[in-house]
Formats: sequence, structure tokens, C-alpha cells
Amino acid sequence: MGELNKLKVIGTPVPKHDGKIRASGKAVYGHDIKLKDMLYGAILRTEHPCATIEKIDISKALKLKGVECIITAKDIDVNNIGYKRDHPILKSNEVNCERDEIAAVAAQTKEIAIKALQLIKVKYKVKKGIFDPFEALDLNSPKINSFNSGKFDNKNIAEVFKYSHGNIEEEKSKSKVHIKRRFTLPRVTHACLGTSNISAQYDKISGKLLLYSSTQVPFLYQRDMAHALKMNPSDIRVIQPVIGGGFGSKLDMYPFEPICALLSIKTGKPVQIIYSRKEEFLASPTRQPMIIDISCGADKNGSFTYRDIKIIKDNGAYTSWGATTPFVIMQAFSSLYKVAACNFEATAVYTNNVFAGSFRGYGNPQATFALERMIDLLADELKMSKSEIRLKNANFKGEITGQGLHYDTCGHKECLETVINKSNFNKSTKKSKEGRYKKGIGLASMLHVGGGAKIYRSDGCGTTVKIDPYGYCTVISGSNEIGQGSETVLAMIASEELGISLEKIKIINTDTDIKPWDVGVHASRTSFVAGNSLLGAINLLKIKLNKKAKELLDSKNDDFNYENGCIIDNTEDKSINLDKVVREMHFSEPNELAIASYFYEPSSQFQDKEFKGNVSGSYAFASQAIEVEVDTYTGNVNILNVYVAQDVGKVLNPLLLDGQIHGGILQGIGYAVSEEMIYKNGILQNPNFHNYKLLTASDIPQIHFFPIETNDKQGPYGAKGVGEAPLIPTAAAIANAVCDALEVEFLELPLTPERVLKAFNNKKKLIHEF
Amino acid sequence: MNFNIEIPHSIDELVLTLNKFKNKNYRIGAGCTDLLMELKNNSASNLTIINISQVDDFNFNNVKLSNGNVDIGANTTAFKICENENILENYKTLHEAALNLASAQIRQVATIGGNICTASPSGDLICALMALKAQLYIKNSLGENREISILDFYKGVRKTDLKHGEFLSHLSLNSNNKNAFKTKSGFIKIGTRKSMECSVVSLAYHIQIDKKGNIIETGLAFGASAPIVKYATRACDFLIGKKIDSLSKTEIDTFAKLVVEYASPIDDIRATAWYRKQVLFNISKSILEKNIEK
Repeated sequence: MGELNKLKVIGTPVPKHDGKIRASGKAVYGHDIKLKDMLYGAILRTEHPCATIEKIDISKALKLKGVECIITAKDIDVNNIGYKRDHPILKSNEVNCERDEIAAVAAQTKEIAIKALQLIKVKYKVKKGIFDPFEALDLNSPKINSFNSGKFDNKNIAEVFKYSHGNIEEEKSKSKVHIKRRFTLPRVTHACLGTSNISAQYDKISGKLLLYSSTQVPFLYQRDMAHALKMNPSDIRVIQPVIGGGFGSKLDMYPFEPICALLSIKTGKPVQIIYSRKEEFLASPTRQPMIIDISCGADKNGSFTYRDIKIIKDNGAYTSWGATTPFVIMQAFSSLYKVAACNFEATAVYTNNVFAGSFRGYGNPQATFALERMIDLLADELKMSKSEIRLKNANFKGEITGQGLHYDTCGHKECLETVINKSNFNKSTKKSKEGRYKKGIGLASMLHVGGGAKIYRSDGCGTTVKIDPYGYCTVISGSNEIGQGSETVLAMIASEELGISLEKIKIINTDTDIKPWDVGVHASRTSFVAGNSLLGAINLLKIKLNKKAKELLDSKNDDFNYENGCIIDNTEDKSINLDKVVREMHFSEPNELAIASYFYEPSSQFQDKEFKGNVSGSYAFASQAIEVEVDTYTGNVNILNVYVAQDVGKVLNPLLLDGQIHGGILQGIGYAVSEEMIYKNGILQNPNFHNYKLLTASDIPQIHFFPIETNDKQGPYGAKGVGEAPLIPTAAAIANAVCDALEVEFLELPLTPERVLKAFNNKKKLIHEF
Repeated sequence: MNFNIEIPHSIDELVLTLNKFKNKNYRIGAGCTDLLMELKNNSASNLTIINISQVDDFNFNNVKLSNGNVDIGANTTAFKICENENILENYKTLHEAALNLASAQIRQVATIGGNICTASPSGDLICALMALKAQLYIKNSLGENREISILDFYKGVRKTDLKHGEFLSHLSLNSNNKNAFKTKSGFIKIGTRKSMECSVVSLAYHIQIDKKGNIIETGLAFGASAPIVKYATRACDFLIGKKIDSLSKTEIDTFAKLVVEYASPIDDIRATAWYRKQVLFNISKSILEKNIEK
């Protein structure tokens, strides 16, 4: 690895590798794929969120000209899907949520497919659904998911996570103040601009299935698809087209994907399914809604003593990876700021709501919101400043937390100090009693994995790197690009290490038949894990190149520099073109390729049954101070300034980093003040951008970003994962700021104008009898 | 979506086209920013879209001065209204309403005629034009003309006085009162986002004040709080003759209450009736409070 102080490419604002093709409209997304004789698939979903299916009549639809195939549950031989295998691909006896798939059509045009759906008649016996997880927990409530394994003592519990460290009772007795609250978090969605899509091409002759899929986890997906379809995983080839947004939504495989494959298998023709925007709102996953009960305390000096947390998560009707978000949630509660004792229990409960999936931050925005609100309340109770209490309890380098996380580097305190100083946090809280606009400022931090997360047997990534006889480099990486910029970072690393200019570097990362194993894009892991993997491969390749260069240069040296397409022996002032070395390797004895492969597995541990262990190769920290102005006439929260300090380890590319910060913060602001999926008896009321208030470019506030470089020796050049962090503390900081501005308390998100106005008026007893 | 398209290129061709289709199922589209959304949801059969965006007629597509009044062609885009300096100077409420409409992309194609004739209860331009008491000029399929005040144009939720076979050709704004020394004119749009937003409550006001500070003419309308955009006559009358700089708190409250009397909002997904009324009251007050001028 190049010496940190001599870096030429790393740390520079290299524009995104795929920026030009995306900006010019030339990128080939899944929506742009056209295959010979391709059919168009469409899915019939239930009309009722909870019902028994009495009859499905497809006869009229089958007669429609242009319809080639219709499938229902009885036509397919498949396994259930989902993390708990509790999710039938097509539903036959009962439907349990608004998304449920009953039949699927493949037709010659999209219009015919949609018309055919309208001709399918389903007879339902409508049942009263259960949309409140507490009602589902009532012992008299019926069992919602008939495939529930029954592992837990309540038939509607899908999953339970329990964790503890320290002695809660002892810590309670040491505490001067205790606070107890219940927080309610909404359901929000990723709102990817590229809607869900898949094209499936089954070859009847070879028995092989080719999928053009937007998955974030191609190798896990290959295995899940094979399980669902009862196929051999390696007979399924997954190719990723350009992906129009992931944010965690493509971590699970959903029914529409095996449905598309089944339509192709039945017809022998390629089939494509593309969601409309409405379908995307209805049928793509969401963030987990949850109810967090938390009590916590601090001693007279302001040291945190204990945290006791009980969470009820609305699992929806089926279980996705989202049910495992407590892995991350418990980390925030056990290990963000020092805390002597922690009890944690999270229960995922089946309901007739739609099921949630994974979403950037993976439970952490919810946890951080609850935790950071509580810290403000503790500070108020202790009459301590909100900055002081945080600084006092901040995490530190060398800390091993109660959960067993090792902070080899830790920028928490520096992040806090930076945003406190830059935002003038301690001086900016002069309140005006009168006047329409009230200013406030809020502070929040976050902890997230920054070096992958060992939640599968391997958290590794493979890379093959090749140099051709013309001096160009090809990197075949197991990792993939979902818009986050991993291709650019990998190309920068190759350029830095091999002295090859960026335009001569090609990244191959879209085809499971070619690329080596990788877990996938999640846990902010790609730059860290795939970056280290590439560095490992380059080191192996350099051993071969150095050997040949030494021979050709007749050099005594074993260590060479790679610059401007040359291999240089500085001590003897000799150099040779890299492409010439490669040609000599190829064409002279012993005739070998300039190619090397490496598998990088982070040093992290798989956690034990008590969820203890050092689960990540490094940990990222961030603090945000956010200044707001609340309009007490309308309840609108205007975000004035966002001060962000984030421990990124090392800035690999300031341009891409800025992009992650801006995007994450805007997503966090949406979570704080505007985004909410509104349901009425299990039916989504706002499946459109008109009424689902995704923020836009004009809502971006002033963002003041201060990267904190802690140079973690585990990371490539010292870098840590940065992708998820920017949105995690944003809602917490905004809620703290609004509470500060109005001197009222909020226990739920989002802080919509109506909620804010109502809270302000209640406090001022300003309610007019309108 | 399945429809036929007719594309007239002049006002005469538009009249002929309407004559041809007057007994058939047709819709007039200009920017089609609302129409396309509507058609996606309801695909009526045998529908013809008369696309008027290609009508090449200066008066139909532009803002122009005419005997001191300002005439605005129905096909004038929101963008052109934003850019017009005369509107900015004399009818700020309309400028601000146009500037806050949807997004930059939508403003390039959405037209003032489309906004008026779509008759949305939250139509931003309608709201401003009501505060300005615009006069609408309508042509029928025989080429005959009639005029109507925008205050009389709306008959119910998305219902207007426009008859089958008629189209809006232009509208006219009276010049401000010759004794007006200054005007207090603006548009307040309340929503969650800063753009791409449909008003949850909107308020347009145009208050003319003479040299001595007396209020001599008023216009005030609000949107999204009743089945149609509403003109608040009693609130407007209440202000006439009062001095703008010495309104008491009680007078301001009375004025705001008079505005809210015209509201009959419903609870819907975007806001409750309570919120709309409360905010309408608050922002009505705000236009008369000192130091809060936009």
C-alpha cells in the first residue's frame, strides 16, 4: 500500500466512474433491457389485507389475445422465501397483507398483461385484520402467519433478540436521575428513483436461468432463488444492470423475482417485470416501524449508568432481513457513549401490515432518535448542558464496550467537539419569548459498523486483478455498484498502487458467473472490504511484476515504485514500462499471466449467542448539530444549518464522500420532518410522491461537513465505512432542536407541520375552536 | 391511456376543432401536467385530446400591456409569468404564486389557462388571480366571445362556468388604483416541501394603500380550504378605509376571523380541517402584522 503522505490519487476528488453515462442517459438500467421475444409480466395482488381466498378464476384472462401464461399457487412447485421461510411466493389459501401476490401473467405487451389482471376474478372471504402489534400479542388474537415456526411462546412473535451487560439494579441505585419514555417511529420507504425490476431468461435446453436483477447481494440472492425454485444455485446466473438506488431495499429477495423466473420457465421466453411507481410504494419494503420503551439513568456527575430498552417491532405479515435490525439497534444502546449496564429486548410481531425490510442505517436511526432524545432529557433533569453531558460520556480510543466492540480508533469526542464549536452550540440558545419564528439547536451522535459486519459466516470479498500486455488493468471484484461509488474507489486504489491512469482501469463486477464471492452491498462495507481485498490482490500481483522487473532491469532491488505506467527502481535510477514487463511475463519463460486473486476476510468476530463479540473490522462515529427555525404560525420546521463531523477513518474521495453526506442528511431530514407511509386498516393511503413527502433538492439546507480522519489501520489507507452514517443521527438532532426551540417534547416522528403546530398550541393553550 | 390527439396551430383552427368535436368526448390540454396524471388513473374510451400547446398566436401565448391593463393569454406558461417584470412590479401576488408552482420543469409547460380551467381547490394561480379580480375572456366554437369575472367562474369542486365547446382565450388584470401609493401584495403557500408541493393552505392578497396610509382597495383569496378557491369579501371590506400602520391587534384578529369564516375544509391525507383553519387564521394575521412582510 502506498505511503499515506505520498498519495497521488487517493484523497482527490475524482468524479464518479459511471457519472457520465448516468448523467447523459446512456446507462442501461433494468428498465432499459429488451430481450428477443420478451414477454411482460404483471402481478395480481389482493384486494383485502386479510382474507381467505375461496376461488381464483383465470379462465377469462387466459382467453385474452396476447396472454401467454398465467400462474397461481397451484401451478408452481416452489419453497417459501424470506429470512424465516415463512413467505409463500404466490398465496393460495389466505392473504395476510396488502402486498400479497395471488396470480401472475406473462403477455406480449404490458398493456395486455394489465388487462389480463383485470379479468382474473378472485372470491374472498374477508376477515378482520390485525394492524396493531399489541393487539397481535393478545393471546385471543388469531395466528397471522400460518408458517410461523412457533419457536416463541406467542404465536404471533416472529423473532426475539435479548441482550444485556452490567448490573442494572446496582446502576439504578447509583443513579441520581431516571427518565422513562415511549417513542413511536413511523414506516418510511426508500423511494428509489429506479423502480423494482427484473428480467428473467430461462433456457429450456440447458436448464439454466439468467436473471438481470437489481439485487444488492447477488450471491445470497442466487442461493435464495435456487432454494425458492428448487434449482442448483450455480445454474442461476445473476447479472446486475445499472441500479437506480438501493439503500438496503434490495437486500431481500421478494416474490416478484421468483415469479418472473417462473413465468420464464413456464413460457420458455424471457419475461420482464417492472413496477409502476404506485406498485413500488405498495410492494417494495419499508423501514421498520417500532415502539421503543426506554428507561435510563445518570449519576450526579452526569455519567450514564443504565439503559433498559424494550422494543416492539411491527414485523408485518412475513419476515424479511429487516427483522434482524436489532443486531444494530442493540449496538447503539449498548455501546454509543459509555454506559455501565444495558438490558435490551426487541420483539418482532406479526401483523396484517406490509412487511418491512432493511433500510440505510438498519434500525440505527430509530435507536439513535430514542437514545439522543433521552440524553437531552437527562441533561435537563441534571441541569447540565447538553454538550457537556455528551462529551463526558463520549466513547474513546481503546475502549472495549459492554458488548465487546473494540474501538481501535474512535473519533467520537473529536466529532462532538467539532460540531459543538463550529455550530457555536453553547452560545446559540438565546430564546426569544415573543415572535413568530423560534430558533433551536440540537445535538446527536451515532455509532455504526465501519468495517463490515460479520453476520454471515463470511464477511469477505474476493478480487482478481489483471494487467494486460497494453498496460491496462482489469479489476474483477466480488463487490458491486449500487450508485454508492465503489467502482470509482476501486479504480482509484488500483491507479494509486499500480501507477496506471484511471482511464486505463476497468472494473468488472456485475456477473456471478465471473466474479468471485462477496457478501454484498450492506453495512457500509464495500470500500472497506472490497478495498482491502483489492489491495491484497495487488500485493500478490506486485510480487510477480517485481520479480520480472528485477530480472529485466538487472536490478539488485526487490522493492519498486509504480508511477506513470512504469516500474521504477529509485535506488539505481532505472525504470521500465509496465506493459513491457507484462509482455515479457506472457511471452518469455516461464510464461505466466500478470494476474492475481485474493480473498479478504475482516478480522471481525461472529457474535456469540449473547450477541457479544467484535462484530466489525472498525467502527464509525459521527456527530451532528442542527439548527432549526420553527414557524409557530404553520408548524413548519426550517432546517437552517447542519454541522456534521464524521469519523471516516481517511477521506478516500472527498467528492463522493460529500455526496454520501448530502444524500444521507436529506434522507434523514425526510425521516425527521416529512416522510410517512399512512395506512388505514392495512391499506396505504399515500402511494405517490404527491402525498408521500420525499424531499427534493430545494429542501437541502446549508451543510457544513468536517471529516475526521482517525486512520484506522484495518481500513484501506485508514478508511472506514461512510455510507449509512450521515442519516443516522439527523432525525435525532432535528427532534432535539425542535424541542429546544419550542420547549415542548415530541415522542414520535415525523415532526410534520401539523404535529408541531398542535404541540405548540397545546403548550400555549392557543387552540382556537375551529 | 389511449386517446386521439388533435393539434390546432392557430386560434381559428382551435375554433374549428372545437366545432368538430363539440358533441364528442374531448379534453383540452396545454402543458398537460394535471391532465396526464388524470388520464393515467381513468382511461376513458373514445377520448380526444385537443393539444393547444402548438397554437401559434402571440396574444394567446404571452403577457402584454393593453390600455394600462395587463392581458395574459391562456397559453402563457407559469415560467413566462415569473419572468414578466410588469407582473413582478404591479401584481406581486401573481408573481409569487407562479414562482411557487410545482417545480422549474413543470413551470416551463404548465399554463395559466390550465391552472384556471382545471379548477383545483388548491390552484395557486387561481388564488392570486382572484385576489386581483381578474376578468376572464372566453371564446366558443362559433368564434363568439364572452367575459366573466374569475370571482363568478367557479361552480363547485373542479366545476367551472366553461361550457362544452368553449375555451379560455385570455384574462385581463385591471391597473392598480391611480391613488395607490403602494401595494402590499403577496402569495403565501403552506406545504411540507419547498417545491413540488400542492398547497395545504394558500393565501393571496393584494392590498392598495394611498399616500396617507389608508387602505383603498383590497383583494384576498385562499385555496385548499374549501371546495373551490374562495374570495373573502367581508374580510376585504373590513379593511377598506383603515390605516395600514395603525391596525390594532383586535382588528387584525377580527380580519383573520372574517377570512376563516369562508373556509370549509375537510380532513384529508395532507392535513386536518383543524390545521387548515388554524393556519389560515395565522397567515391571514401575518399579512397585517408589522415586520413580517415577505
